[in-house]
Amino acid sequence: MRNRAFVKHYYLMLIPGFAWLILFSIVPMFGIVIAFEDFNPTRGFFRSEWIGLDNFEYLFLMNDSKTIFINTIVIAVGKIVSNLIVPLTFALLLNELRVTVLKRWIQTIVYMPHFLSWVILSGILLDVFSHNGPVNGVLAIFGINPIIFFAKPGLFPFLIIGSDTWKEFGFNTIIYLAALAGINPALYEAAAIDGAGRFKRLVHVTLPGISTTIVLLAVLSLGNVLNAGFDQIFNLYNPIVYSTGDVIDTWVYRTGLLNLQYGLATAAGLLKSVISFVLIVVSYTLASKFANYRIF
Amino acid sequence: MRTFVTIISKPLSAQESGFFMLVLLSKSKQIKAKEGVWLKRKQMLLLMLVISTVALSACNNKTGDSSPSSSVESSASATATASGTSEASEAADPFGKYDQAITINIGKAVDPSDKSLPAGDTPENNEYTRYIKENLNIDTKIAWTAANGNDYDQKVNLSIASNSLPDALVVNDTQLRQMVKAGMLEDLTQTFNDYASPLMKELNDKTEGRALQTATFDGKLYGIPGISVQADGVHTMWIRKDWLDKLGLEVPKTLDDLEKVAKAFVEQDPDGNGKKDTFGISGPQSGGQLYATFLTQTNNTFGFDPIFSSLHSYPGYWLKDANGQPAYGSIQPETKEALAKLRDFYSKGLVDPEMSVRKDATEPVVAGKSGIFFGPWWMGYWPLPDAIKNDPKANWQSYTLPLDANGRFNAHMPSTTHNWVVVRKGYEHPEVPVKMLNLLVRDEGPKFSSSTVNIANYPLRVVQAAVDESEFSAQALRDVLAGTKQPSDYANLTEYKLLKNDLENIKKVKLEPYDKLDLDGWNPSADLGAWSRLYSLMVGVPYYTGDYDKVYSLIYSQTKTMESRWANLKKLEDETFLKIIMGASPLDDFDKFVADWKKQGGDLVTQEVAEAVQQ
Repeated sequence: MRNRAFVKHYYLMLIPGFAWLILFSIVPMFGIVIAFEDFNPTRGFFRSEWIGLDNFEYLFLMNDSKTIFINTIVIAVGKIVSNLIVPLTFALLLNELRVTVLKRWIQTIVYMPHFLSWVILSGILLDVFSHNGPVNGVLAIFGINPIIFFAKPGLFPFLIIGSDTWKEFGFNTIIYLAALAGINPALYEAAAIDGAGRFKRLVHVTLPGISTTIVLLAVLSLGNVLNAGFDQIFNLYNPIVYSTGDVIDTWVYRTGLLNLQYGLATAAGLLKSVISFVLIVVSYTLASKFANYRIF
Repeated sequence: MRTFVTIISKPLSAQESGFFMLVLLSKSKQIKAKEGVWLKRKQMLLLMLVISTVALSACNNKTGDSSPSSSVESSASATATASGTSEASEAADPFGKYDQAITINIGKAVDPSDKSLPAGDTPENNEYTRYIKENLNIDTKIAWTAANGNDYDQKVNLSIASNSLPDALVVNDTQLRQMVKAGMLEDLTQTFNDYASPLMKELNDKTEGRALQTATFDGKLYGIPGISVQADGVHTMWIRKDWLDKLGLEVPKTLDDLEKVAKAFVEQDPDGNGKKDTFGISGPQSGGQLYATFLTQTNNTFGFDPIFSSLHSYPGYWLKDANGQPAYGSIQPETKEALAKLRDFYSKGLVDPEMSVRKDATEPVVAGKSGIFFGPWWMGYWPLPDAIKNDPKANWQSYTLPLDANGRFNAHMPSTTHNWVVVRKGYEHPEVPVKMLNLLVRDEGPKFSSSTVNIANYPLRVVQAAVDESEFSAQALRDVLAGTKQPSDYANLTEYKLLKNDLENIKKVKLEPYDKLDLDGWNPSADLGAWSRLYSLMVGVPYYTGDYDKVYSLIYSQTKTMESRWANLKKLEDETFLKIIMGASPLDDFDKFVADWKKQGGDLVTQEVAEAVQQ
């Protein structure tokens, strides 16, 4: 009986979340029909001319489509990998730090950028990497000619991945630190008594202790594989780096909102959502298989 | 484990929440299995609740979607009768004051850096809106505002997409076409005939009907065209004359001279600070254009238009080829030649190394790091006031240079109109925006020019000027300064709205000798506003005698296929050209671009242009 009341409580708490989900995720889904229409705003969803798969046909005809899908995947995968490895490494290093005050300070400082928007950060980055910026200043000491970083298609994905990692690794570190805090100190003591040094303890106690968290985060981020980060790229890119930096979201924005080609933009967005959906299902399956991940 | 899930689900996107829901459902499945059948009913209830909410919201969506269009239709028919009666009772008076206050809802572009409004005044309630209220008894209500430029365009696009237009607003070419196609606009043919003031009609006549033509579809007028001065589309070379003098150089006449001067500006420390921190030629900022195009022909600041045209290359323009057939300028061999030149300049460090990456191209001009840039006539308004504030010796002069191989200056010429005031279909008083523009056109010169409040705060403002205003004024100012003409000689020319003021102000800011245009022949501090305009007119219009070769585009609007393909073709063009100039791709990528351009719709578009020209 007690259990039953408990469950009711839970469902009540779900209501705001559900309302949000329905309003912002389910209702807008009706807009998907635009992908199959020559959309005319005055006629609306239901009376615009139905053109079937024409938009998708044109989408596959365009050279752009291939480029933006590849760019999206390259940048998103790069971000996923680096957002797993960097915070993990950093958390492990921080965990070895014995001065608590210093540890807390570092922790706080590195996760500050997480709270700044890309509009602000992009301004800072463009200045830092500009022709007369500090980075080129350092390069000049070594006799290297100034590089216009954001005009180099080859460098752009790395700048995007790197700056995203820089912004987010502090926040992700906290998740790992939480997992690290959950490891029973007795295990370390036992290992120490058995003669294990710091490195051995890291390999045999720490890593196994947080392995489920690592796998879980890795698998969950799969659903994000087509989210390369609109606001970041939008604020940093320019036509020269379209070939390596234009992603589905920025393309959809330009096509739909700037050029008013609603159908085409929606078609690209829909394609992205379908692929993302498949990846989410896959990631859930993997999560339950490898990380024994069943939330409830 | 649960805590982790909540932590990570928080900053993630909508897809994650979809995932969350999936997980929830699977969770319910487990409960069902574990806790027996009695829970099933409860769960069914919850499920039904969810389903019914979704269904409900879907229904809402449906009704919500169809109601505006039906109401538009009904109100449209209501207007038909209403305007019928009102026309009968009241003769059309361009400046008639309404007996009862009429409200108009508008969308408004706002300049975020505009500080000219006195405290307490807003874009909705200021000197100009009160003037409109006083004279016409019209209340302007602002439905929404957006920063001018891209933000405003986006906001208009959103209003179009969501079919929620204010009563009237200012739109661009693509938007106008989209709205006409979607049937969102009121037919203004009759309204314009009845209500446009004689002066406004005269300004339109000066364009030989081309301005009204831009907004006419199937014989019906769907927008009141703005009319820009043609000088907005003529781009000249602005150069630091004080740097030239200091280094003992002549004004560069040809491209080769230009290269030499730019090189000297880079290497010989023209600003004399002992550091090699100057560059020759400014380039466009991030999102800026290398050259003006047939769709956006004017006001291309920091592009390379004169460099292209000195090589007879007109990228972005539709011209006739040797056989008299329409051809696109960007794919011609002359354009390749011009790109090769610019690429050469860039690799030698003569052009701003951060062109197209820089967020604000005025910065090096203001900071005194750039020696040459290309732009239209009105640079005296912006960015030069900041530049001379920073360095009172920054003697920027403008020339119709560089010249082509025959010693001529070529310029591509603009269309008359780039923005339109449009009225929502079904708005009860389509004549209201016309009357507001009548008032603006009549009083802009005599009344508003002395105001300190930025004229951009006038609601629904589009510039309606005499097309040759800049050239005519530049000549008149010289004649009056030389004493060959008197200001009174121009008293009857009301279509040159600001000329009277200009002639009154000129001796306030221009010092003797009157024929010397260098910066030390001016007194900007006497009246910076007047200086901006008069410096722009006298220095910025060096072609006022009309002695240059004008190149017009065959068309100035999109054809049918362009509506779907042009954005992608233009993207291909922008990307290829920038990469070639900045050395990210080899010059011969140009040939590949030409082939791609033709294949991806360019040929089709060219055909359509040929058809459009024949008509």
